[in-house]
Amino acid sequence: MDGIVRVVFQNFELKSTSPIIRTNAGEEMSRRGSSSNPCDLLKKIKEFTRCLLEDLRRGRSPSVTLNRYRIYCTDPSGKCCCSSDLHMGKEIVSLQKECHAYRLDVLLRVLLIIQQLLQENRHGSKRDIYYMHPAVFSEQAVVDRAINDICILLECSRHNLNVVAVGKGLVMGWLKFFEAGKKFDCINSPSKAHPVPVFVEEVEGIVSVAQYILIVEKEAVFQRLADDRFCDTNNCIVITGRGYPDVPTRRFLRLLIENLCLPVYCLVDCDPYGFDILTTYRFGSMQMAYDAKFLRVPEIRWLGAFPSDSKKYGLPERCLLPLTAGDMKKAEAMLLRCYLQREAPKWRSELEMMMQRGVKFEIEALSASSISFLAEKYIPSKIQGGGYI
Amino acid sequence: MEITCSQRLCQILICSAVQRCRISDQLCRLSVVLKRCPDSDPPVIRVSISDTGIGSCLQEFQGLIYRRNHASAEKWDGMLFITTTSISDNEIFHYHLNFKESAAARRLTRLPSTTKNGLKFSGTEVSLSTWECIDDLVEGITCFFQKMLILKVPKVAVELVVERMTGSRENFLLAKDDNLLPCPMSNIECLALGFQDYVLKHGNMFDKQCPACLSRREHLKVGSGVACSSDSLASTGQLMEAVVIFRELPDASSLSCLRECSTTKVIYFQDFLPSVIPQSPLNALRSIDWENYGLTIKTYVVGESGHAVIEWENLPPSTHIDIVLHCYHKKVKIPRTWQKTQVDRNLAKKAVKLALDNLKERYKGTLLSAHAVKICSYALDLARTISNLILLSNDKEFQGECLSLLGLQPQQMGEGKEVEDCIQEKIIAVIEINDRKSRKSRNAPDFLFEAENIHEPEDEEFQGEEGVSILDL
Repeated sequence: MDGIVRVVFQNFELKSTSPIIRTNAGEEMSRRGSSSNPCDLLKKIKEFTRCLLEDLRRGRSPSVTLNRYRIYCTDPSGKCCCSSDLHMGKEIVSLQKECHAYRLDVLLRVLLIIQQLLQENRHGSKRDIYYMHPAVFSEQAVVDRAINDICILLECSRHNLNVVAVGKGLVMGWLKFFEAGKKFDCINSPSKAHPVPVFVEEVEGIVSVAQYILIVEKEAVFQRLADDRFCDTNNCIVITGRGYPDVPTRRFLRLLIENLCLPVYCLVDCDPYGFDILTTYRFGSMQMAYDAKFLRVPEIRWLGAFPSDSKKYGLPERCLLPLTAGDMKKAEAMLLRCYLQREAPKWRSELEMMMQRGVKFEIEALSASSISFLAEKYIPSKIQGGGYI
Repeated sequence: MEITCSQRLCQILICSAVQRCRISDQLCRLSVVLKRCPDSDPPVIRVSISDTGIGSCLQEFQGLIYRRNHASAEKWDGMLFITTTSISDNEIFHYHLNFKESAAARRLTRLPSTTKNGLKFSGTEVSLSTWECIDDLVEGITCFFQKMLILKVPKVAVELVVERMTGSRENFLLAKDDNLLPCPMSNIECLALGFQDYVLKHGNMFDKQCPACLSRREHLKVGSGVACSSDSLASTGQLMEAVVIFRELPDASSLSCLRECSTTKVIYFQDFLPSVIPQSPLNALRSIDWENYGLTIKTYVVGESGHAVIEWENLPPSTHIDIVLHCYHKKVKIPRTWQKTQVDRNLAKKAVKLALDNLKERYKGTLLSAHAVKICSYALDLARTISNLILLSNDKEFQGECLSLLGLQPQQMGEGKEVEDCIQEKIIAVIEINDRKSRKSRNAPDFLFEAENIHEPEDEEFQGEEGVSILDL
């Protein structure tokens, strides 16, 4: 499936006074802000349940209309409206298909757990939910999709459901903040890694003297920079999502940017996966397309590594690996994404160049000549010299 | 049991008597009398088949084809004696029909008629003499009548009288009282009723009731369907009736008399005559999309007796399915010849599907498609979760609204199981409705296609169709 879905019960759509009818993205954003508190969400869950019963009472299949969302398409004409944040078509989930019956079963089970979390003002992780019915859910991805469906259904973000992810992001640098009253003072030791706060909505009192924010794809690079005391000598904040970034990391990053208005750079491996992670930070993920507007960071600039860096920085041949068939397939698919053509043509050109050269390399390869090359030369020179796109 | 030529002749004569009774609008009696002539050697049996239907115009007898062979030469002398009168006749006519006469025009001899003395009645008696063993004849005719009883031909009482020696009479009234019910019943209602009687008998034998087998009519799930060819297009007025009975035996393991449950013997009637199933309805049965009814055919064969035998796959051990088909013409006609009319394949398919749909409509949860069964497997979980969404809510007002939507009383709130059961029942009802709707929508284009096919003479199913009722003596 090329997009994510937003679930709205048919009955809701029929009511002209329904709070879930959307008119445009701007309205929705303001509306969401006012209707995502636990009390409102519980009301929506109850309305959802009433609609189920009403359908059954009338002898109708409890049919769910799913509005599909996507953050990109592969329309080469550029005439798409993926950037509008509006839904793209609908899907009906009912008891007509076995796969839909299962999907509804999972959705309701997760919804029941969420209703309990909200009623009791407790939090649970996605993994906690998975272990409530592991035999039924069979894998975490099934729960994740149900949570996404429920976010769509209730017009809220995941954290509003009191569902939290086990945070995996790390942060260090010239930053101080409070999370639920607890002080995080990174400035005391700028090169010491701190976990990214999970309850981002409870973060307040952000203070920073940093000049920019640097996102690095991998923990290994983050650790290298920490070891090299990069933040001691560079007034910045460094964040890593340790691979594909999770929701708290992206939300925290957004919070920092909104509060501090700092330029933000991103350093990823020069391979299709690094590029995909880069686009996830900037444009969001397809899985959570319904929430992309709250998670994406359009201000991000790509600092490297570019395909041309291998020649520019004299990378030894042994560090260059040929792109595999899987890499090529992934890159070809990414080239078709409409947002690259529309909003990041230079990034797209670099991706094309990567495919033409047919090689990839990791950020660590830049340290082949000197272990501290990244911290001492590569990053500072790129930022100062405007070597980003 | 071997059907000898005399027996076959008797069957056809009985059948034509039934047709005469059907045309008559009165209660009719059909008697078959087997009488042994005491002094003959070898022993001669005189067979008399008489009915109080409309009189005969003799066409049905003249149309009989006599093919002589050694066996028939030894058992029957080729003579038929016919006595008949119509309600409007003042006389009773007597005829002698000699099938050994090669010139057709000289076969029929009119004998002196008898006066009715001003009485108003109608009827026909056909008699013949045969050297068959009387026991074989009795067994054969009894079996034939018992099959015919499945049809419960309206307004016709059937009797078999056997005189093995002078003064000794054995009477068998084969039609039951309910056959003579005053309220008019359609043929399909009669067939459904008769087939239930048959199914309730031990191992589906024709003559044995068994209390160990399922003996209660209310345990049977009966579906019936009638498909007719369009008069305006085909002008045949052909009808196909189908009755399907689905039953679950209470405890299959405890029944020592239980026969093979996973097979269905399809019983077939053609123009009120028990018959071998012709090729086209046979093919029609095979072509039904049984999976829509949760059934899968494992094997499909024509048994020795000419019945279609369907073996089902995955049919629960205590479940059994019975099927009967009856093809006839809406307008009763006395056949001029005994050549069989072609049986429309699509009629058989439609009739069985209608019967299956009817059964499904009448009995909740029966014959659900494999697809619906799978979806039903989620019903309990869905019901439990929805029930918990209500019962575990901390909003009492909401809970009250939900109970009201479910048609439950507030005091039933404490009984979580009741709420759950109620929701589950509604979910399953919805799945059943969906299942029926989806089949109807699937069937719609199919029906249009079939309607076109009905009158398509080049349909390969119509090719090579052979007659089934030729008097092949």
